[in-house]
This record gives sequence, C-alpha cells and structure tokens, in this order.
Amino acid sequence: MKRKYLAIMLTGVLVLSATLTGCGGTATKTATPKTLVFSQGADPRGLDPAYVDDGESAKVMCNVYEGLIKYKDSSTEIEPSLATDWKISEDGKEYTFNLRKNVKFQDGTPFNADAVVFNVERQIPPKATEDMPYASFTYGPVAKIEKLSDLSVKFTLKNKYTPFLANLAMTLAAPVLSPTAVAKYKGKLMENPVGTGPYTFVSWDKNQSLKLKKNDTYWGVKPKADNIVFKFTKENSVRASDLMTGGTDIIDGVDPNDIPKLKSSNMKVYQSDGMNINYMGFNCSRAPFNDVKLREAISHAINRDELVKYLYQGYSSVANSPLPSFIPGYDKTVEPYNYDVTKAKQLLKDAGKSNLKVKIITYSNPRPYNTVGGQKLAESVQNYLAKIGVTATIDSYNWTDYKAKLANGEGDIFFYGWTGDNGDADNFLSLLDSHEIKSTLNASKYTSPAVDALLVKGRELPNGAARNKVYQELQQIASKEAAWLPISHSQVLAAYSPKVTGFSVHPTGSVFFSGVDK
Amino acid sequence: MVKYIIKRLLLLLPVIIGVSILVFLVMHLFTTDPASTILGQHATQNQIIALREQLGLNKPIYVQYWDFLSGIFHGDLGNSLMSKAPVWDEIMARFPATIELALAAIIFSSIFGVIMGVISAVKQNSISDYICMVISLLGVSMPIFWLGLIFILVFAVQLQWLPVSGRIDIGLEPIKITGLYLIDSLVTGNMPAFFSALKHLIMPAVALGSASTAIIARMTRSTMLEVVRQDYIRTARAKGLLERPVIFGHALKNALIPIITVIGLQLGSLLGGAVLTETVFSWPGVGKYVVDAILVTDYPVVQGTVMMMAVIFVLVNLIVDIIYAFIDPRIKYS
Repeated sequence: MKRKYLAIMLTGVLVLSATLTGCGGTATKTATPKTLVFSQGADPRGLDPAYVDDGESAKVMCNVYEGLIKYKDSSTEIEPSLATDWKISEDGKEYTFNLRKNVKFQDGTPFNADAVVFNVERQIPPKATEDMPYASFTYGPVAKIEKLSDLSVKFTLKNKYTPFLANLAMTLAAPVLSPTAVAKYKGKLMENPVGTGPYTFVSWDKNQSLKLKKNDTYWGVKPKADNIVFKFTKENSVRASDLMTGGTDIIDGVDPNDIPKLKSSNMKVYQSDGMNINYMGFNCSRAPFNDVKLREAISHAINRDELVKYLYQGYSSVANSPLPSFIPGYDKTVEPYNYDVTKAKQLLKDAGKSNLKVKIITYSNPRPYNTVGGQKLAESVQNYLAKIGVTATIDSYNWTDYKAKLANGEGDIFFYGWTGDNGDADNFLSLLDSHEIKSTLNASKYTSPAVDALLVKGRELPNGAARNKVYQELQQIASKEAAWLPISHSQVLAAYSPKVTGFSVHPTGSVFFSGVDK
Repeated sequence: MVKYIIKRLLLLLPVIIGVSILVFLVMHLFTTDPASTILGQHATQNQIIALREQLGLNKPIYVQYWDFLSGIFHGDLGNSLMSKAPVWDEIMARFPATIELALAAIIFSSIFGVIMGVISAVKQNSISDYICMVISLLGVSMPIFWLGLIFILVFAVQLQWLPVSGRIDIGLEPIKITGLYLIDSLVTGNMPAFFSALKHLIMPAVALGSASTAIIARMTRSTMLEVVRQDYIRTARAKGLLERPVIFGHALKNALIPIITVIGLQLGSLLGGAVLTETVFSWPGVGKYVVDAILVTDYPVVQGTVMMMAVIFVLVNLIVDIIYAFIDPRIKYS
C-alpha cells in the first residue's frame, strides 16, 4: 500500500520536474551574451584559405584568420596586421617583415616566423598541390621565403612585383593558420579553422549554421559581439522573410525585388559599389572583330545606361572602364562610347559591313557581377544590334562548358566578368595582357604591345602617383581599342535589423564582424 | 520467410551494380568535371589539366569506375571534390534531417489521406466526398515550392505563428543521439528543444506531404469502394455490427494492401530527399545536398548519394513486402 503511494508520488515529482525543465530562466542575469545572426545563401565550401575561393567561405574565414597585412576599413589600402612593419629592398625583390610580438593562435600555439614560413611553404612548390585556387596568384611571384629570426621573415621575389603586398591582405591564401592545427586536423582541416583573429571557431552544422565566439586572447581591439552565428538559407525571399520576422539580424544577397518589402518593415538596406566588372568582349583574334572600327561601331550601338537601368533596376552602376571607381589608378576622364545609332550604322557602312552577322556566346547562370544571368544580357544586346542591322545568334552554355568555349575562341561576341581579388589595378587590367591569352584569362585574345609594356611598368613601380598614371594611360588605350565594352559594376546589397550598428561590407566582399554590434 | 528475405537482400547486389554503372556513366559522360570550378576564376588551362591529373580524372573510365565500385564494397564512398569531406560522413550528417522530415510528412499524409479516403468511400458522391477529392486534387496540383513559399508568407511573416525556416532555433539543438531532434529532445527531457523542433517541422512536413496525401486518399477511396461492396461486408452488417467496426475492423483492414504499397512507395521517394522543400525551408537534408553537388558536378557526392538512395528504396520496398505478410495471412513467401 505504502509502496503504491510512494510510486504515485515519485511519478508525480518526475512528471512535474519534466514539465518544469521547460520553464524557468536564469536566476541572476549578468550580461547576457550578445549574439549576431548573419544569413547567407550557402555554406562555406571549406575553412582552409589555401583550398577555397568562394565568398561564402571568405566571410567566415576573415573573422577567424589574419594575415601579415590587412585592408583598411572600407578601402583597399593596406595597413599592418600580424606584421608590424616591412621594408622593400632597392631592387624591389626582397620584402622583409617584422612580426607582431606576443600573439597566440586560438589554440595557444605562439605566432612566429616559423608559422609564417610553414603557411607559405605549403602553398609554393614543392609542397603546393594542384587544388589550391589562389596559391599561384598569391605566391607565384615568390622565389623563396626565409626565417630571419623568431619575429622576422623575408620573401625573395623572382621579379619586381608591386601588387605582392596587396595579395598578402587577402582572405584567400594569405592568412596564417596555426601549424599545430594543420598537423592535427590533416584530412579535416577544412572544417577546423584555427587562426589569430578576433573570433574563434566553435561548430558547424552543415547546411544549418556555423558558430563563432569571441577570442578572449585576441591581440587587437576586442570585438563587440560575443557570438556570431552564420545561418544558411538558400532562397533570397526566405532570407528576407527571416530578417523581417526577427529570425536573423543581417542578410546578404538581397534581391532588388525584396527591397521595398524590407524597407516597409523598417529594415535597413546597405548598398555599396562592388569590386567587379561585367563586360561584353569581342573576339579580337579573327574576323570580324579583329577590325577596331567594327568594334567601335558595335560599342556605339548599345545603350548601356538604359541596359543597366532595365536589367539591374539601379543596383549596378554603368562602367566606363574595367576598373571600379575606387581602385587607385582609375581614370574618370575615359570617354565612354555614347549611344549613337547613326554613328554606329555609318561606321559599319564605311567598313562595308552593313549586314553583319555575328555569333554571340553567353553563360546561362547568374554571376556575382551579373545578377540576371548571361542569357538576358545577351538577348538585350541582340535587340540593340538588330536596330543597326546586325543579326546576332545566341548560344548559351552552363558555366563550366562556357569557359571551355571561351578558351576555344568560339563566339564573335561574348559576355564575361571579373571579381577583384586584392584591390590592385593590375588585378583587373592584366586581363588585357597578351600573356594571359594562353591561360584563357584574356578571353578577348586581345594583343597590344603598348598595353603589355604599360602592365610590366605598372607591376614594377611602387604605389603612388606615377603608378596610377601608368594605369590611367592604359585605360585610355584600352577604351580606344574597344576590345571590351564595359557594361556595369554590380553593387553589394545587404539588409539588417535596425538594432544592428556598425555593419558594412568591405569592398573586397568580406564581412568583418569585429565592429558590429546590436 | 527468412529464406525470402535473404533472397531479396541478395537481389540488392545487381541493383547496386546496375545503379552504379548508370550514375557513373551519366556523370562522367554527360557532364564536365569540376576541375575548373574548384580552381575558380583564376583557373588557367595548365592548372586545370594538372588538377585533373591529381584527382585521377585522367585515368581511363573503366579504371575510375573500378576504383569507385571497389570503394563501395569497402564502405568508402570517396571524398567530395569540393569540400574534401568524406561523402559517407556528409550523407550521415544530413540523413537524420531527411528521415525526420520524410517520416513527419508520411505520417501526416497517411493519417489525413486514409481518413479522407475512408470518408469519401463511405459517403460516396456526397458533399464530403467532393470536398475531400477537391482537397486532394489541390494537394497534388500545387507545386511544392510555391506552396512552401505561401506557407512562409502566411504563417511565418503575416501571422507569425511559426518560424520561417530551419530545423530548430539556433542554440537549442539537443544532444545528438539519433540525430532526429524530436526524439533526442524527448529522450533527454529537453522540452524547449522539442517544441522548437516541432514548430519548425510543421510547415515543411505539410508542404512535402501534400502530394502524398492526395495520392493516398485516392488509393484509399478506390480500394475501399471495392471492398465495401464485397459480400462479407454485407454479412457483417447483417450480423448487426455497428458501422464503425464494419468499416475499420473489416473493410479497411482488407483494403490495406494497396494502401500500404502506396505509402511505402511514397516513403521511399520522400527519403530520397525532398529537394524543393529542403531548399525553401533551408532543411539540411540529403536531397538538397545531392542537387547542389550535381550543379557543381561533384562526382563522388552525386555517385555516392544516388547509390545510397537506391539501396534505401529497395530496402523500404522489402520492408513493405514483409509488412504485407503480417497484415494478410493469405500471403506466404517462400
């Protein structure tokens, strides 16, 4: 009998405690940890800067890792980070860096010259593997790296190469990882980042969320938020809905169509110029567009202002040069090809090609610099060409196949673009280098000894007015030669809750959370 | 019975080989390899060629196939070319989410489908019949993607009754035992996690189950109509049994075989991954994983995942066949 009562009482207590575990908060509230939630469209490919090149990975990595140099806030100028100062030799080939004292990686390993050498050596021959997308771009110019002392290293370059410094500020390839972590996580390094940055990696639930927490032993200015959570939501409209219902604090990849909705829900919209170029290119290696007059004719036939307004609804700016306007060396005096149907027709007539037929090739998917995709862009251009009597056919391919078609030089006119890597003018203008035809980066197959010579000069001059002048001259030549018709620079669009302060997207596309608060 | 099960399991072998050949050939012959995607915008032709060499994509196709097939029989599905993570681990990390969603969807659609089907059959040609059939027509006609987005707009944004997307509120994830949040949170007594997971599951499960509900309802209706006209039902009623035991005890039980077949097939295909639902609701399942891999032609992921889905489909059908034997004593396997 007694046992029965005991059993009932115990069950009662169990049930009661089970239901009560659901309720109740903390007895005393000290500071509640601040968590910022940031939604992006996809998971990172991985978290090892040597093996990935996508923006989704970069946005996480730029908060966990640091390099010798970093970009200044909102600009592509550089300033010290893990290196406190540096000297460049007279002949421009030797870079000596003094490293910051008393810095530790997030796993306690000390940061020193050995760590830097280790990180660089794994990305240059003989240790580099073929699946490192940015190794040869970043460290290709490096002949060797040496440790001079515990806190200083020296890079010896094969040739003078001014953009080298800017490369060291990138989030890809350049950051310094803890050598202990690299050894420990061998096969799983892509999922266990350990750097020196303001945030430490906590966990990653694939396709759901990734968590970072404040690095309490960080050497620099402590970040404001205690935790950052990256949420992965593929659909643009669902991300926007999540922001409006308070499920997330910040979203990127905002669809222009969602902006009115977001604004009416009191969300703030962030817009800034992107570091990219969206362009139409001519195949300069053969007829008909090996003739500059024909390239000029077509260039006058396209109303770029109308095109950009119609396709991108104001969220891209018209481009008059391959360079975005904030890159040092940008020439704002370049005369764009104004929309002039009469002139276009005249030029065609003068060349005896009034009934020109051209083959356009394009990509089918959207790109960061072209949010409506290659097909729509090609069709718009096709319409403009029809108005001057030029018949164009369009062949569109998926991205991987498209790059192969470009390499084979298949279209007369093609569409392409470039997302800047390091904020240096050479990064964009090298695409006109005749040496890049073989590598397929110069998809126009444009050759100009004058341009090549200016590029070589620009790579060797130190940063400053003289160097900028070289690139300005280059842009004037490029514009006259019309191998490309620059179309637009797409803007970066993000949105955030009014509670959030200090949010911005860096021109390189990275999102640094240190200064963000809510 | 045991001999039958063993025979069916042995038949898995030709299925595995057949599916592996099919998926391998489709990927390698009809798509371009991911080398240039891995190398990004800086990829030069020389680098692409060198990477192909490193990844073994230059080997003759039968050598690559043999490596792949022998890997399967060692339980090694290879590593993702994009993320370098082992395919098996990646699938297993996402599988519980797919199971949870598929089970929730099939439970929802079985219950509602059977109820609607029974109502329609018993009250044939009445208003209830027409209403149920219209609901099921809507369910099968509305595109899941659209339905999901509408649900989010109405229930999450406007009414704010349910969360927008995801599996659970960030930070509430329960300790992992099975990977199914509902079960794990119940077992550990973590009620906030349980309710959060439940709220997140409702919209995706209903959206995903909408088409299945319709199919199950129609199958139930037509089978029930046939069974209810049988002599033994008339006998049961003549014996004086109330309508409810007649319908549920006798008619439904006999109608179950085709209904269970349909439910089993539906479950098999839902387990294959409900890509559209997973995309809309950011549900971290296998379907979205494999479709994303197809878009970047990540061979090992596509091959490994398709193989797994084929095996699961065969196993689910086997389980359905075994269930028949328990429901219908007339069925004997040898």
